[in-house]
Amino acid sequence: MRVGLLIIGAAALAAVVGCGGQRAEFKSREDLSDLIPEAQAHVRQVLDGDDEHVGHFGSPLNSIAWERLPVRFHGAVGVFAENAGDGSGALTKLKVTLAELNRPIEPGQELVWVSGKYVGQPSPHVVSYDSKTNTVEIKPAVSVPPDAGDRFAVAPGAVLKHGRMLYAEHCQHCHGVTGDGGGPTAKYLNPKPRDYRLGKFKFTSTATPARARREDLARIIEDGIPGTYMPSFKLLEPEESQAIVEYVRWLAMRGEIEFKLVQSLKNDYSIEAVESTIESARKADEGLSNSAAREQIIAEMQEYLAGDWLEEFNDDTKFQSEQWRNAEQPDAVVLPKVARVPDTPESRARGRKLYLGQRAKCATCHGESGLGDGSQTLAVQKNPMTNEDYDTPGLFDDWGNPLKPRNLTRGIYRGGRRPVDLYRRIHVGIKGTPMPAFGTVLKDEEIWDLVNYVTHVPFEARERRPGDGGAESGADAPKVAASKSGPSLQVAN
Amino acid sequence: MKRFWCLFFMFWPITAVIVCWLAPGWNWWFPQGPAGDGLASSPLGRRIDDLFYMILVITSITFVGTQVALGYVLFTGARRGDQPADAEEGEKAWYTHGSHNLEVMWSIVPAGILLFIALYQMDVWAEYRVRNEFPKQVQSGPLAEVTARQFEWRIRYPGLDEEGNPLPLMAEPQPTDLYTVNDLHLPSGKPVMINLRSADVQHSFFLPELRVKQDAVPGLVIPVWFETKKSANYALLCAELCGWGHYKMKARLVTQPEEEWRGWLRDLHAEQTDDGVPEQAE
Repeated sequence: MRVGLLIIGAAALAAVVGCGGQRAEFKSREDLSDLIPEAQAHVRQVLDGDDEHVGHFGSPLNSIAWERLPVRFHGAVGVFAENAGDGSGALTKLKVTLAELNRPIEPGQELVWVSGKYVGQPSPHVVSYDSKTNTVEIKPAVSVPPDAGDRFAVAPGAVLKHGRMLYAEHCQHCHGVTGDGGGPTAKYLNPKPRDYRLGKFKFTSTATPARARREDLARIIEDGIPGTYMPSFKLLEPEESQAIVEYVRWLAMRGEIEFKLVQSLKNDYSIEAVESTIESARKADEGLSNSAAREQIIAEMQEYLAGDWLEEFNDDTKFQSEQWRNAEQPDAVVLPKVARVPDTPESRARGRKLYLGQRAKCATCHGESGLGDGSQTLAVQKNPMTNEDYDTPGLFDDWGNPLKPRNLTRGIYRGGRRPVDLYRRIHVGIKGTPMPAFGTVLKDEEIWDLVNYVTHVPFEARERRPGDGGAESGADAPKVAASKSGPSLQVAN
Repeated sequence: MKRFWCLFFMFWPITAVIVCWLAPGWNWWFPQGPAGDGLASSPLGRRIDDLFYMILVITSITFVGTQVALGYVLFTGARRGDQPADAEEGEKAWYTHGSHNLEVMWSIVPAGILLFIALYQMDVWAEYRVRNEFPKQVQSGPLAEVTARQFEWRIRYPGLDEEGNPLPLMAEPQPTDLYTVNDLHLPSGKPVMINLRSADVQHSFFLPELRVKQDAVPGLVIPVWFETKKSANYALLCAELCGWGHYKMKARLVTQPEEEWRGWLRDLHAEQTDDGVPEQAE
């Protein structure tokens, strides 16, 4: 009884105070409010839709699977190949070619036609699926067979819905409903949770301008990012992790498109720009009233939106989807061409030379002894996006957060500690940060020398400091292992 | 009304006893464990369970005894009339300054029981917590170092020597060390020891199926040993509210036969020295 009262009390408290105030809707970018209301409405209509239009993304609770995006939304996607029945009477068995099989096809799942004559018709259900013959049996039967090549989706949106649920459970409280890194717990974190909306992810296996691969994101979910608040979600099933990856990619694509939408309208249709246009129009024509000038601009905008803009938008989004698709190609993975140079003192010495040298310039940020205290951390940097100086000295990432070069003496490697991970960090850099790509500057052997040096930095002999804890080695553990490893770090990982 | 209170105060202890009796059937008791029998998966865990059951029996007898006494008092009180003036039914309450004999009895008997429990459990406690009393097999050193951090378990294993056998785990990280996160693999069928530490705040290393629970305290390296008879996956949880992401600290303990564990360590070594160059057939 008392427990019941407590629960009711807690529920009432939660209802009044709220649990962080997250609402199931996508937040707009802040710079959207710079646009005139008509342009804002257009951006929202394109993304979320309104009463008359279907948006390309919808809302978190009513998501739209936009076919143009390379996201695995559905349980399965395929095209109709031929009639597999005996040809008599109604058609129940369809021979199909599957393009995607993300979830097993099971009886009772909905089969929705995405193209062809059955679009918009009530959807049949799957009765059975034979993977050997690629035959789907559906109910109710259709009297006229679909055309060969008609596309359909089984269990529409199943993956996205699953991803959304898992995202809400595990990710949202930091990364936010919109994927803007603005969840209720985000303010307690340093470094900040990733804002997906630039479409950039720091640690990828792809070249510098390329997008992240699905497996890059899955790896981060599985192993977490050491040294940050991103924990490991090792116990998620592969299917669950994949669903989250798809949802995160979808949010990233949404954010990118929103960014481009605002950019495309910012020059001419921001409140400021429209005001100055009105001003100059009035100067040119004394008789023109403010509202008439404004109406003229709005009319121009509508014309632009229906014509050139739409074309640009289509090109942009197709190009963007292409980029995401390209990252999934096997040849998009950056792999060393040369095997790791043996980790010898000579190799490390060459690496050290490179580290301090003018070609790689590692020490200018990471510091001579690898403490992450190089001279650049005290210099005023230029914002690569706006080409203006930052207000405060130090390094910043593309999200505008201050950034410290990694302290290499701690032995914590956020992008992974395998040699190939470190190779990639040097070869392709860290996306969205001042860590540049050295793939074109350095030869593979040189990168390996650097890797050998960097992985050795935590173990370099240095003065024993109080609290290093070097004395309390395991009770009877014989002192073996690397001879060169002096007293080093407290916490390795 | 007096009868109502009599029934009311008897209802709860009877319900408590019945619920406790039925709880294992509803899976409200100890976790089922990989064997599905609800018994501890480690030999020491069984002995800890035995202690638990012994205390449960003692407290149950005490509980039932006191509740019966309470019921008796209420029942006899309820049978008396409401009106003290009513000579036939009514009877006046009487005042007492207590019984010296009774007081002595219920002080000495529980004290004796407590002393008995304190002495009886010492062996188990010593084996569980006192380094010198740990089994011989684990005296040689830990097999892994588990570091709790907000909000995951980071695990460091020793590297391998040239023949592919595990090196001893050093107190400090070595270039040869291997790392995993939320995935603790250890040999089964023999006692194994890990070193427990914390990277930030206080956590608690909890293996419910093995009845192991040990706080991870910042600045301390705490040895913890356990033994699994059965090769299986066990739950590893954090049992100390360590921050907003406390519930995220779910990990697994995988125990496997010694040879298989070494093989797993070799696979891990292969993965962590992967330089990404595809092996070319020559």
